[in-house]
Amino acid sequence: MNLPTNSPGSRVKPASAADVTVTTPRRRTPAPPRRSLRSFRVVALLPLAVFILVFAAYPTIQLVRMSLSDVGIVGGEFVWTPTGLSNYAQFPDDDIARYSFLITIVFIAVTVPATVMLGTLLAILVHRSSVLAGLARNVLLWPALIAPVVVSVIWWLILSPNFGTLNKVLESLGLPPQGWLGHSSGAVFSIIVVDIWHWTPLVFILIYAAIQGIEPDLVEAAEVDGATQAQVYRHIVIPLLLPAIAAATLIRLTMGAKAFDEMYVLTKGGPGTATTLASLYIRNVFFDRLDLGYGAAISVLVIAAITVVMILVAIGRALRPGRELFNG
Amino acid sequence: MARPATVVRPARRFRPGAEIPLALATLIVFLPVALIIVLSVQPLVNIISPGWNFGLTTQNYAAVFAPDQPYLTQLGNSTVIVVGTVALCLTAGSLAGYSLSRLGWSPRTTVIVLVAAGIITLIPPMALVPGLYVTLNAIGLLGSLLGLVLLNTVFNLPFASVLMKVYFDRVPAEIRESALVDGASEFRTFLQVMLPLAAPGAAAVAIFVAIMSWNEFLFGLTMTTGGRTSPITVGIAALVQPYQITFGEMAALGTAVAMPIIVLAVVANRWIVAAVTRGAVKG
Repeated sequence: MNLPTNSPGSRVKPASAADVTVTTPRRRTPAPPRRSLRSFRVVALLPLAVFILVFAAYPTIQLVRMSLSDVGIVGGEFVWTPTGLSNYAQFPDDDIARYSFLITIVFIAVTVPATVMLGTLLAILVHRSSVLAGLARNVLLWPALIAPVVVSVIWWLILSPNFGTLNKVLESLGLPPQGWLGHSSGAVFSIIVVDIWHWTPLVFILIYAAIQGIEPDLVEAAEVDGATQAQVYRHIVIPLLLPAIAAATLIRLTMGAKAFDEMYVLTKGGPGTATTLASLYIRNVFFDRLDLGYGAAISVLVIAAITVVMILVAIGRALRPGRELFNG
Repeated sequence: MARPATVVRPARRFRPGAEIPLALATLIVFLPVALIIVLSVQPLVNIISPGWNFGLTTQNYAAVFAPDQPYLTQLGNSTVIVVGTVALCLTAGSLAGYSLSRLGWSPRTTVIVLVAAGIITLIPPMALVPGLYVTLNAIGLLGSLLGLVLLNTVFNLPFASVLMKVYFDRVPAEIRESALVDGASEFRTFLQVMLPLAAPGAAAVAIFVAIMSWNEFLFGLTMTTGGRTSPITVGIAALVQPYQITFGEMAALGTAVAMPIIVLAVVANRWIVAAVTRGAVKG
């Protein structure tokens, strides 16, 4: 599959500001088009701006306000009582909350490197393959495209202790069945395996597109100079893929922090609280315990943690101006 | 003469070192998906009894789509959500993308808008749920399909706008100028001249947003009361109960929800790859 419109190598885009300066002298009647341009460009941007303000800025303000209040529901109406920082004061003493942040970090620390490495490997394999490339390019996308809850159902059918396919396979091999999701380490291991199966395909597409953008001349020159295949990948292909790998890592990092659907269906955060990632704990506090203020406070802490990571990434980018993280 | 041809396209060679691991990886992806499809047509007795007996039945599908079950309604809800979200994202996204790409905003303004939109995609939706819950409640859309359409739009619109901007950036500036010189209004130039030229971008946006909103679960779960008011993803999740043996129904419903996406993945493969690679990396 050749994507003619998608070659990261050719990045020649005219700056939009420059276009306008070029067009100005050619206008016959400068005044009227200018006014219609001004109004249309504002009108065209308005829907996006309204969506950002109403469904991102306003809810965020409400979230912060809620985290500083005690919010009760009386007769279907919210009743807000300002309480200062008392919601945040609960956090340090809340063992489950601290565990949920810790297990989220562990989850990210394992699944992000694993999916990025496996996805890159798959991209290289597909690039080097001739027979299976077409089929693999298609099938390998499936997990990333089907609904996360369906992914959970698939793995529930495999891992379920009672009639799961994996235990059936073990039994027919004469091995004892396992309660994969029944104990803490097995459940954590399971959600990590499921996440790697689920999201390696996304990394694969991103890196595969970048590989296709590499100039064949570069590889050819190295081969003419007598480089082995291993050397070509080690010294030419992988370094050229680094920006795409960095972008994929960043995307996977934010996805790790968002993870919810798979665990909610597969383990419900259990057994006990073993797989209660931060997102699951927020839902639990907010909707099961109906402790709206505290749920909002944990949400604010999650957003703060992500903001810190993103600022660190931005600083890292600024210190290395040669590396363009977001290239298209 | 033969040498450049073989070197330029190294992928043409047969390499067992690449084909064998790739075959293995493809199987690891394929088998779990095949499993759910196979189980969806098995009688329950084959699923729960030891050993490997295979049959063929439609009873699981019949059970799931019986009139007393909520799943058909939920499939309808999901369809409404997809159509509404795609329509809103295409309209607002192509307008915003065009405005930022072609209408002479300063680079600073463009960056501010894109960063503000981009932040939405970085925040875990669950962290915004408390705020969104209160917001939807305030405007009376809590539990409604329109509310879910709006929330799905918020989280897909940044991507849609950026992707449309990327495609509008590729349309030569002279085309817009000559349309304006010929007397077309800014809006007509956008709608009748520029938008058709960015149609591939619109197709990529439509496919990607359709998949994302069809698969969406979190807002469906938290903003509706379940049953016939929720999208199909919530219905599937409700079927997964540790102590109930609803394997056949689970597999049938899961297959019914996954099949349209897998067919789309096969038919529209290049658009999906274009959308994911451009939009994800840019946004």
